[in-house]
Amino acid sequence: MTLVKEAPVRPAGKRPAAPAAARRGRRRENLAGYLFMSPWIAGFLLLTAGPMIASLYYAFTSYNLFTPPQWVGLDNFTTMFQDPRWQKSVEVTLKYVVVATPLKLLLALGVALLLAQKRRGQGLYRAAFYMPSLIGASVSVGFVWRALFSDDAIVDRTQKVFGLDVGGWIGNPDYVIYALVALSIWQFGAPMVIFLAGLKQVPQELYEAAEVDGAGPLRRFWNITLPMISPVLFFNVLLESIHAFQVFGSAYVVSDTRCGPADATLVYTCYLYQKGFKEAQMGFASAMAWTLVIAVALVTAVLFWSQKKWVHYEEAAK
Amino acid sequence: MQQGGNVERRTILKAAGASLAVAGLGATATACGGGSGSGDGTVTLRYAWWGGEPRTIAIKKTIALFEKKFPKIKIKPEFTDYEAFWEKFQTQASGGNPPDVFQNAVGFLRKYDKRGVLLDLKTQADAGNLSLENFRNGVLANGQVDGKQIAVPVGANTMALVIDLKAFEKAGVEATFGWTWDEYFDALQTIQDKLRIAGDTGYFSIMYLYDLYLRQNGKAFFTDTDLGFTEDDLTQWWEDGYKRVRSGLVADPKKVEQVKPKSALSAGLAASEFTWDNFSIRYEGEGESDYGLAPIPTTDGKATGQYLGSLMLSAFSGTEHPKEVAQFIDFMVHDPEVGEIMGYDRGILATTEQYDAFKPTDDNNKGVAAYEEEVAEAGVLGKITPHPSGADVIEAAFLRIGGEVAQGKTKPADAARALFSEARAAFAG
Repeated sequence: MTLVKEAPVRPAGKRPAAPAAARRGRRRENLAGYLFMSPWIAGFLLLTAGPMIASLYYAFTSYNLFTPPQWVGLDNFTTMFQDPRWQKSVEVTLKYVVVATPLKLLLALGVALLLAQKRRGQGLYRAAFYMPSLIGASVSVGFVWRALFSDDAIVDRTQKVFGLDVGGWIGNPDYVIYALVALSIWQFGAPMVIFLAGLKQVPQELYEAAEVDGAGPLRRFWNITLPMISPVLFFNVLLESIHAFQVFGSAYVVSDTRCGPADATLVYTCYLYQKGFKEAQMGFASAMAWTLVIAVALVTAVLFWSQKKWVHYEEAAK
Repeated sequence: MQQGGNVERRTILKAAGASLAVAGLGATATACGGGSGSGDGTVTLRYAWWGGEPRTIAIKKTIALFEKKFPKIKIKPEFTDYEAFWEKFQTQASGGNPPDVFQNAVGFLRKYDKRGVLLDLKTQADAGNLSLENFRNGVLANGQVDGKQIAVPVGANTMALVIDLKAFEKAGVEATFGWTWDEYFDALQTIQDKLRIAGDTGYFSIMYLYDLYLRQNGKAFFTDTDLGFTEDDLTQWWEDGYKRVRSGLVADPKKVEQVKPKSALSAGLAASEFTWDNFSIRYEGEGESDYGLAPIPTTDGKATGQYLGSLMLSAFSGTEHPKEVAQFIDFMVHDPEVGEIMGYDRGILATTEQYDAFKPTDDNNKGVAAYEEEVAEAGVLGKITPHPSGADVIEAAFLRIGGEVAQGKTKPADAARALFSEARAAFAG
């Protein structure tokens, strides 16, 4: 993942015309390539593209899985926008995305800055900080989280020491979302590794020059590190927001499969799941899915548009 | 990918063709695996149920017994918990691949009958593969819809009040037959005053309890096609409930939420809980106190509104082996040994053969038997409330929205409106 673009190195002069034999060879190579790709292509067509097209159609139908879908036009969308639970799920999801993503990236960047320094055992530290990302999505961690944030469990007791007694987060509709946020932040390993790679690519001479000019650590971070890793930052913001919009597993497990209490962890995908698989309103669920796709696409577009203002590519600086 | 566009396209087509062929082979292979007949005349049936571990252990024993007596029929068990069961079932059934035989409950009959999933077992009974005789207390009717026998009861159960015996004793309160709601809530108040624990775990979110309350007042939760009460009725019910949460008579919903999947009763958060009587067995295992069954409070000092519900066995209408399925169900509901193994886990055994064969020895099963005897003697049992298609979704919505009321997140009047709106969608589904 080289995000800092470099000018491609290519030998000067025009390319020699390929002789017939070489062309045949390339054909054979292509054939082999596609053959090797065919399981993936089949999987993509049958398991991704096909179902997606089907769900686009279902989004405009009333479909309970048993009787054939009936065309209802935009009904699913109009019902959806007026549905208080759908509105609630949007609110919960936005809250999650807006709180969890920046905090996670902040922590990832902070730890990456520490780990970028040369010291003994840094490989060990990196592995240790990355570990939660490997297991964070598992169901068992969801259970552990439930236990950690329950009444009279470790988080609650620690809070009580500071005089903040809320009686556990899991059963409290005002707090439970932050247990999910904490779980997300805890899995900062993946963006951290990407930040680390970005930090390694910042040319040392820039720092040396800045130091000679008398720039302090804060100034060096603000004027050198941040602009230099902005492509990496952009990439992380993009990826993590998209991920956050699709959160499901942690909400489902931490809330004991109900996405409650009082719909406080009813993230978008959880409501989609309930509509589709519990209530068998597949048309409505498909409409929800496509609305999410469009929403995420819009957010992505806005991010891409905004990068002109704050993302610094080396090439552009020339 | 610069040149030879033609070649490229052909190559893609070939490659895609090859992989489709591979995928096709895979599909064929699975189809064979799923098939249930084999050359030597042995038939395999898939049997699915939901429930806890004790039920699974017992059912597996009964399966072994069946396979010994019917060596030509093999049973493939599938089991999970209640919610996962119905999610999975719905998906399987919509794909035309549900289990041949499965556990069923009253709330799902019309829904899956409407979708054509359930086999009418009457034809199999007429063919002599299944006996519909000897069912106790008319529970066979629980499995009938529009003249069809789409399910056969394995047990009978009724709503009950499960109480923490030690707490009731310590507080010096007694649950007596025919007590009124006022007397019940007074008792809870005494418990709260003396023991500093809540009296109840959250009665007002339980659809089946509200049904009893409505029946005591000449209504019912459902009519044949609709809800049997008004928004105002429900608003009142939830307003009273929320008042009792705030006064501490009903356990703090935040705490109840956190002990899940354990019950708030066995977790010691409250002294009583309304549930099905055959569930009482689970509390002994979960909690530290002793638990017993107590009468449902009444409005007029007599009528509890209770009726016998049932867990049942149903068969898939598209099964390849209707005869064997019928034989299996017949064995499971009539064989005395099966009755002895199952006990009252799925309610009081439904047929006289099994009821007579099982003599409860432990306190739990004895308690369930004594309770149903007492209820039967009191003569309060009525005809079961109808369960229109969508009843299952409405039950879940009732629990969820009631929970929002308990948490103080939704006003009772708004909550009642939400339930009515979700019910309309569920009936239409």
